[in-house]
Amino acid sequence: MGLRKNAVALSATELTDLQDAFAAAYDLTDDRGYGFHAGLHGLPLPSYCEHGTLLFLPWHRAYLYFFERALIDVLRRTRDNETGAVSLPWWDWTSAASHTDGLPPGYLAQGDGTANPLAAGPVTLNSSDLQLVRDNLPGAITDGPNPVTIRDPSPPDELPRASTVNRVLRSVTFSGFSTLLEGIHNGVHGWVGGAMSAVPIAAYDPIFWAHHAMIDRLWYLWQISPRGVNPPAQLLDRALAPWPMTVRQTLDISTLGYEYAAQVIG
Amino acid sequence: MVTAAAARTGEAEQTLVVDLPYPGEAGETAYTRADVVFTGVDHSSLSYEVRLFLNNPTATAATPRTEEHGYAGRFTIFGHGGCYGDMGHCDVPAPSNDPTDLRPPHPLTPLDTYVTITEALRRVRADGGTLQTVTLVPVSITPSRADRKPAPELLRFADVSLQTYLTATEDDPEASY
Repeated sequence: MGLRKNAVALSATELTDLQDAFAAAYDLTDDRGYGFHAGLHGLPLPSYCEHGTLLFLPWHRAYLYFFERALIDVLRRTRDNETGAVSLPWWDWTSAASHTDGLPPGYLAQGDGTANPLAAGPVTLNSSDLQLVRDNLPGAITDGPNPVTIRDPSPPDELPRASTVNRVLRSVTFSGFSTLLEGIHNGVHGWVGGAMSAVPIAAYDPIFWAHHAMIDRLWYLWQISPRGVNPPAQLLDRALAPWPMTVRQTLDISTLGYEYAAQVIG
Repeated sequence: MVTAAAARTGEAEQTLVVDLPYPGEAGETAYTRADVVFTGVDHSSLSYEVRLFLNNPTATAATPRTEEHGYAGRFTIFGHGGCYGDMGHCDVPAPSNDPTDLRPPHPLTPLDTYVTITEALRRVRADGGTLQTVTLVPVSITPSRADRKPAPELLRFADVSLQTYLTATEDDPEASY
């Protein structure tokens, strides 16, 4: 069982494992690699992500599940170790530390100049798509032939507050919970800025996965709370393209092989 | 309900002002929650946020988000940042009436959202006042913060309405943040 932890609670070894897994995924150019998974959210077309619908939470849970599995695979292969493991950490943007420092330290460029694969991700699009991104979204990716994601974060205290999240956790309907949480999610994308601020290339930034692990964790916490209810019945057997997974199959994270480390919110 | 076409341009042509009188002709009803509901909201272009101010038709992007200025909450749209397909790729087709058409909706199908304004509306009413206008202040969320600015062109929607509810509990969540 994989254990997803707070990004600031990773041990040095766990952080190294995560960095190595991302770096190895960057090097894979096929459908096991980072570019493939990041591209499913937007570019290159087709764009599969679900926003503004009640599939937002299930779709992104499936997305993280398959990406996390890909990270485990690539880490084991790179290290020739069949038991290696890595889990996606969550970024608690409500925490006091986030409201002081912003992004988790593990996702920042290192002061000593050492490359950190979690500080930016390669944007492996064809030249046509890259030109469109540069024309439509200046400031999202770097110039040059091998662009990577850029961030331009807002002041840390503008991140969502725990009190706001706690109000969302008091939702009594799935549609209410999903709509409110997605709104907060949208704001954090904008807070990070750069590539994260636009759907087509947001997932190329490594912080995307920590942000969405937080969203997924909040859904999980609401699910196990007395107020948590399932999505509407008519959605439960909907497929979550491009994966062979339905909404129903996302509802119990224990069947997906991961869980969240305990932490009190607020 | 007010259609987007009925909204009037606000301060410096950077905002939209809509008339959402409450109590209206039907009079006041008991409520535990009040939402400003938007339908048909576009999300095809840049990301943006929309700040709502009650009874402050001169509000702008520079207006502080405080009770004294009538601030009631905001919503944020995570935008697609333009079209990346060939001609017509981003044209949203009309909903199909064909029961055998099992394709999912177009990804750019306009969405519905809301901002819960219960406490802000109560503040207006507490002084014996009535709600007259809601000012919508759209601000772009570009990749570079330096490029962010008032962006009325990004806010395209079908209609907006004030909806009040009498819910089973007063512990319902607020959307404001």
